[in-house]
Amino acid sequence: MKQFLFFILKTVAILLITMGLLDVLYTTVYLQSNSRTKIDYLYNSKDKNYDVVFLGSSRVNNHFVPKIFNDQGYKTFNFGITRSRLDESALMLKLMVERHYKIKNLILQVDLNINTNDHSEAIRSLFMPYLHRSPIIRDHYKDIPEYNELLYIPFYRYMHYDARVGFREMYFSLVHKRTNNLDNDGFHPLESHGGKMIPADLSKYYPKRNVAYEEIKAICKANNINLIAMTTPMCMSTINRDYFNHIREVYPEIHNFENAVTDDKYFATCGHMNEAGAIEFTKVVFNTFFKPKSNP
Amino acid sequence: MFFNSFHFAAFLPIVFILYWFVGHKSKINQNYILILASYYFYSCWDWRFLFLLVFSTLLDYSCAMKIENSQSTSYRKFWLWLCISVNVGFLGIFKYYNFFAASFADLLHSFGLNSSPILLQVILPVGISFYTFHGLSYIIDIYYGRIKSEKNFVDYSLFVSYFPLLVAGPIERATHLLPQLKRRRKFNFEKAKEGMYQIVWGLVKKVVIADSCATYANAVFDHYTSMNSLSLLLGAVYFAFQIYGDFSGYSDIALGTSKLFGIDLLKNFNYPYFSRDIAEFWRKWHISLTTWFRDYLYIPLGGSKGSKWLKVRNTFIIFLVSGFWHGASWTFIAWGFINALYFLPLLLLNRNRRNLEEFTLGFNLESVRIIFNIVMTFAITCFAWIFFRAKTITDAVQYIKRLFENRVFTEQYFPIERYNYELIALIALFILVEWNSRTKIEPISGKFSWLKLSLCLAAILALGVFSDYKEFIYFQF
Repeated sequence: MKQFLFFILKTVAILLITMGLLDVLYTTVYLQSNSRTKIDYLYNSKDKNYDVVFLGSSRVNNHFVPKIFNDQGYKTFNFGITRSRLDESALMLKLMVERHYKIKNLILQVDLNINTNDHSEAIRSLFMPYLHRSPIIRDHYKDIPEYNELLYIPFYRYMHYDARVGFREMYFSLVHKRTNNLDNDGFHPLESHGGKMIPADLSKYYPKRNVAYEEIKAICKANNINLIAMTTPMCMSTINRDYFNHIREVYPEIHNFENAVTDDKYFATCGHMNEAGAIEFTKVVFNTFFKPKSNP
Repeated sequence: MFFNSFHFAAFLPIVFILYWFVGHKSKINQNYILILASYYFYSCWDWRFLFLLVFSTLLDYSCAMKIENSQSTSYRKFWLWLCISVNVGFLGIFKYYNFFAASFADLLHSFGLNSSPILLQVILPVGISFYTFHGLSYIIDIYYGRIKSEKNFVDYSLFVSYFPLLVAGPIERATHLLPQLKRRRKFNFEKAKEGMYQIVWGLVKKVVIADSCATYANAVFDHYTSMNSLSLLLGAVYFAFQIYGDFSGYSDIALGTSKLFGIDLLKNFNYPYFSRDIAEFWRKWHISLTTWFRDYLYIPLGGSKGSKWLKVRNTFIIFLVSGFWHGASWTFIAWGFINALYFLPLLLLNRNRRNLEEFTLGFNLESVRIIFNIVMTFAITCFAWIFFRAKTITDAVQYIKRLFENRVFTEQYFPIERYNYELIALIALFILVEWNSRTKIEPISGKFSWLKLSLCLAAILALGVFSDYKEFIYFQF
């Protein structure tokens, strides 16, 4: 039995050493990577100056075309990430501040995402490689139930979130395989595929006071960032478009842009515009809040 | 509580310590500890079904003694058939009632008669197919006088409910397991170490191979109408490795766990994808079920003796019942039917016991023939797996039709943000490891065992699927 207990101890030791080594390997790789996701790009950059930064979900990622701003003499980047919620947008803004970004204007999408105070597991996972390195990320996640395991058990975070930061992603980061996430200054255009538009149903949506949104407001105020919070377009057949009016009842400062583009030809799906729609919409936003700095 | 859960990782060491440090002095203590652990293990799924397990144990235990003590053949038959009817009745109600009710309604509908079947909202008790077959084999063996009935209720209860095999086998025989439970187990380092290696290798098969393949196979089978031929082909191959990794991985963990308690269980898999024909495949796949059907169904029906017609009939019965055992769906029956069709020519030409001996490969034509046969057997097995995995027979037929008609063999990006070819390298590596260790129980033991153990642990940690948890497939059976 003693022999077996010694065997088990050796196996456990191998397991722990392997976990430690893998943790170091994965973290080192992710710290070198800045071409896979907007989060690794953000974490591994510093001292950037932007006139305008866009934050939000796919309804930012697919809707705001930085080129239209850039052509008018502005420096902009679209940091919208598909599936992210306001919780992740707040953390991204905090990271920008931590990485000494200088931002004049923040355009924040606040529409469907204000229906919930929840987070996105898929996007949360992308912050995990930097958990040990960034006090901001640690502070942001200090109250989540699995925080201690994620922080103190080596490699646990890569196992827990293996679909997004597991071996596959680590390997692609190691060989510097690029994605198209950072192309077009972060804008990802969608194509229309024809067919009938399926209406989005917002009948179960109701805007609530949102902790992350209020955190974003506070960060902007503390760092002299002009916050422009707005809704973005949805197709006209959307069920319960009245939802957008309720948003202003909760937060009157949010600008209503859900009707900025209405024609179905500008939509890839009911909730997402195609490239032409995104260009039209970005022009409307630019003309509403900004003036050209230089003649293109 | 699953074998690949943290719950089990905590449960197993506790039972191990109690078993070897508290109960090691007598067989009675060891059996009590194992039986309590087994009931706790089972109750973690649904404690309400414990009554069914205990009832089934009591029924088989009592009927066995009645059969043994009966003076007349008619009484022996009565107790045998009572026991079989109740056991199969429970299985029928919990597992097959809805299938029969819905199929009967469909049949009436085809004659123009409409009826609304009364469907029961019952949950399938985990492991019912396995422990029912356990009990049936015991009763039938008693009836034929192959063994004596077990008088010690605790020993018998442990035979039925022993936790490593309780929910998904292997389906044990009283002749093999009961004698081990009737003597005090002494700790054997080599056996325990082998058990640990088998557990680790089982975890590699489950969380690395099966769960990775499941992600891709699900993506293909759930969206087969938009898949090209290469994706459909790979989808079938991925599912073949998913089900093999899942079930043989489970069996390895079960056998390894049992070895930690000094108890050997029946081998359930013997590298089935290296089979040279379908008969060999069925000698190496889910061995405990195949031999169960052989001994308690096929041979009593006459086996391969008698006329050609009888051989054909018996072959179809055993494969159809085997398919139906897996689940109440026509897809499983079709899967069994297809395997019967594969098997039949071998049986009729007396070639079903041709590949009994092990083989070695060299640089000669015979080796080429062996490899060709292995690949062909794997190909037809994959074809049958399509029916096993598809939701309906129509889906399976459409899947196969599209596989042959689409004729596009290019890379394809799945909605799960993965390319269709991404797992090929992992599967090739797995095949290589299995091929090199096909004469052993697991690939870790032997030379450089510490290095191989480290690599397996690293593979589990780095390549395992943890975020998208997938149950063992055979738990649903």
